[in-house]
Amino acid sequence: MLLLTKRFLAFFLISLALSAAASAQQPSFTVAWSIYVGWDPYQYMAKTGLLRKWGAKYGVTIKAQRFDYAPSIDAFTAKNVDACAMTNMEALDLPAASGVDTTAIIVGDYSNGNDALLVRDTNTLGSLASKKVLLVQKTVSEYLLERAYVLNHADDLLRKVKLVNTSDSSIVAAFLNDSSQAGVVTWKPLVSQIRQSKGVTTLFDSSKIPGEILDLLVVRTEVLNRPDGSGQKFAKAITGAWYEMMDEMSGADADKVLSGIAAVSEDTLPSYKEQLSTTKLFYKPSEAYAFTTAPAMKEKLGLVRQFCFSHGLLGANIRSADDLAILYPDGSVQGKGDRVRFRINASYMQLAAKGQL
Amino acid sequence: MFRVFAQPNRQLAWIASWTLFAIGICVYLRTAQVRHIENPEDHIVPTVKQLVTGFVHSASTPAEEDDEGQLGEHPSVWQRIYGSMLWKDTAASGKRFLISIALMFPAVLLGLHMGAFPWIGRFFIKFVLFFDKIIALSVLPILFIAFGIGEFAKIMLIVIGVAPTIILDSFNLTKSVPTEQVIKGFTLGAGDLCVAYHVILPQIWPRVLNSIRLNLKGIVLFLFAGEMIASQDGLAYRIALLQRHMGMDLIIPYVLWTALLLFVVDLTLKVIIRATNPWFREV
Amino acid sequence: MPPLVDVRNVTVDYRLKAGGVHTVFKELSLTIQQGEFVCVVGETGCGKSTLLKLLLGSEHPTRGTILINGTPVLQPDRDRGYVPQKYSLFPDKTVLQNIAFGPISEASRPFCFLRPQWWRQRKQVYADALQYMRHVGLSDRDARKYPDQISGGMQQRVAIAQSLMLKPKILLMDESFSALDPNTRRAMQRLLRSIWAENKTTIVFVTHNLSEAVYLGTRVLQITQNGKLNCSEVSLDLLVPDYVRDAKGNPRQDEIDRIIREIDLPVAEPATPSEMVEVAS
Repeated sequence: MLLLTKRFLAFFLISLALSAAASAQQPSFTVAWSIYVGWDPYQYMAKTGLLRKWGAKYGVTIKAQRFDYAPSIDAFTAKNVDACAMTNMEALDLPAASGVDTTAIIVGDYSNGNDALLVRDTNTLGSLASKKVLLVQKTVSEYLLERAYVLNHADDLLRKVKLVNTSDSSIVAAFLNDSSQAGVVTWKPLVSQIRQSKGVTTLFDSSKIPGEILDLLVVRTEVLNRPDGSGQKFAKAITGAWYEMMDEMSGADADKVLSGIAAVSEDTLPSYKEQLSTTKLFYKPSEAYAFTTAPAMKEKLGLVRQFCFSHGLLGANIRSADDLAILYPDGSVQGKGDRVRFRINASYMQLAAKGQL
Repeated sequence: MFRVFAQPNRQLAWIASWTLFAIGICVYLRTAQVRHIENPEDHIVPTVKQLVTGFVHSASTPAEEDDEGQLGEHPSVWQRIYGSMLWKDTAASGKRFLISIALMFPAVLLGLHMGAFPWIGRFFIKFVLFFDKIIALSVLPILFIAFGIGEFAKIMLIVIGVAPTIILDSFNLTKSVPTEQVIKGFTLGAGDLCVAYHVILPQIWPRVLNSIRLNLKGIVLFLFAGEMIASQDGLAYRIALLQRHMGMDLIIPYVLWTALLLFVVDLTLKVIIRATNPWFREV
Repeated sequence: MPPLVDVRNVTVDYRLKAGGVHTVFKELSLTIQQGEFVCVVGETGCGKSTLLKLLLGSEHPTRGTILINGTPVLQPDRDRGYVPQKYSLFPDKTVLQNIAFGPISEASRPFCFLRPQWWRQRKQVYADALQYMRHVGLSDRDARKYPDQISGGMQQRVAIAQSLMLKPKILLMDESFSALDPNTRRAMQRLLRSIWAENKTTIVFVTHNLSEAVYLGTRVLQITQNGKLNCSEVSLDLLVPDYVRDAKGNPRQDEIDRIIREIDLPVAEPATPSEMVEVAS
């Protein structure tokens, strides 16, 4: 018994030393993620060893680190992390607009009802004129509100709505406790909390603009193009891990996996499933690839870029939206050719779809 | 050089007192330069040129949510400044700030009465002491229920955050007025209110003003917190918006502008205290 | 004629924090006649200030009554003037405002400034105050100064003038000159004597300095500590030592003056027990 314990201890120490030595030599990459239905799997992937397994396959070490959303993007822009989960809009107006060349390698999902405009005591967009609407300004929420008015051909009414910039940490309490606030634009799970209250109805949500609010995994282009090729290995590893995760989430043991993911983000299984129901998650790499390479992608991303530009989110020195150009998988550039700051790289999703990872 | 009785000479003392500023500016400029060599579009540490452009822009053009055309065809410099984003935000924050300062005076009177009249003191003191320890920001949902999320709520946040301190301060100042003075007042034919308002209040008045002055930062802190939580204009509203896409070329001028305003208010209060209380020599 | 001050069987107990009761006065009785200049001496902590506070009404006896002019004392009031050792003036008011404070606050009513009559009255008060200020030896250019701009002696002069403005029945002075330097102190003592001689105001003067008491008072009350560090037993005695009495037992003014000259320069402060002259009753 004693001998066995000793042997086990020795084995444990040796393996620990070996793994330390291995990780010392291996290039290491950090993925920043924040709590969101489409990004919660990253933590689960780290916990269950998927990241280690795929990292070992490509000879890289991958760490997943949890942040609050805004700090995660700050960390990415400040080059403190190598990859980050964020939306297409933030990818454009934060790292890309700050001159940090950014590449999206995984298009994980799009918001299909996660973001919503909720109103109280009314059911038309026009009646919101000269009333107050709470939202976090200059984010997807304001984009959603603008799209709601544009799609209903009521652009001129939008100017009359009084927007109140409200911190997301207090937006639920602020809306529910102050009945003089006519509307609120926010995202899940906050939307679910507000919707439970009486007299609140959903006037518009992101399911009406499918594919415009995308959740991506972005990598800094300079990391991806490291001369030693480690960046590409990392991209392959993380993509491979992601789609194995997707298989598990849609497979036979889905409920077990989903409750594991929910637990990691301190959520419950029903709540997580409810959020998934309004999220169009691409479980198959082929779906993601097809979506990303479709011509509609350019049109939708173009709308987001135009929104960012017209709200001054691209910085003071940007004179036209074309100063922030986007490179698409087919090689076409939206904007000025010499000012490509954001790239969409579908090749890793394609490799995954072909089963070549 | 590092002796207690050292007597720094004038030039060296001047140099010494500006050294940290010089170092700070140099480090900043160097960082900005390095970052811009690496990435010419860097927003996080803007160059001096970007800062000046940002400041001029904010002080001469209307806010993005306002109508560009409101200024007319050829606006004068003053019209431009008056219609600018910076002026709009300063006016909005300034209004809230001044109302909050004005609301500190009832707090002073409450403290005075608590200190001067034992029954009023007993009635309020425990509650105020308790209230003073409540971090106003942590009970935001209650504030929303009670005051909504408009102007009133923002001002109440400041009042709830700072008023207990002012009440306790004027209470303690009242208590520290020597008994001799109070007895003296009564022997000179003054009644209760006369002693409170003619003997005690004039004595604690400059100290109370000074206490408000020292709490300016607290007032601004709560003002900014309120504006960042929910608002449509104001200095902190703009900073919160710009933070979201790291518009440091505007944030830094705004921060410096706020610091300057606060410095001016502080100085003004000092001058007022000195001018209106010639007998008082502690400020 | 009934006495101006009538202290009847007064007992003062202090509840101690450590438990128990500390008795300062036990069954103390005392009368003071109109026009007397009574000096109260005694060691630190024996209760002489307590006696003054009882007369003021800022402290109240545990048992017994104190009558001034036949009325029980409830709280400090305008019939008693008060000159403490420190904080005797309002720091935020000028010398003249300090002196005028009494009549002004007396005459003040809510919104009185709306009546022209009030302004005339106010003008008269300031004119009177100026007279009092000159009377206690201040020059006109001191009128606009603040208390902390004039010397300690000047401050006490102003305080006396301030108290006299309302013509109180009795002037209560608590170590009023104790913080002053010897020369100033002498000058103040002379001033107070002359004021008393002129106005015949009744004065109760608390001091720890025996020579001061002997010089100033028509009667000296001593509160003894009975050899112990408590004042539970109090004896009040007419204190004029034998060697300053003539053959008939009356105090000799020339002898008192000699003592003052000898003892008072330099002033020994505070009086030590050996300096105290005990007199058997």
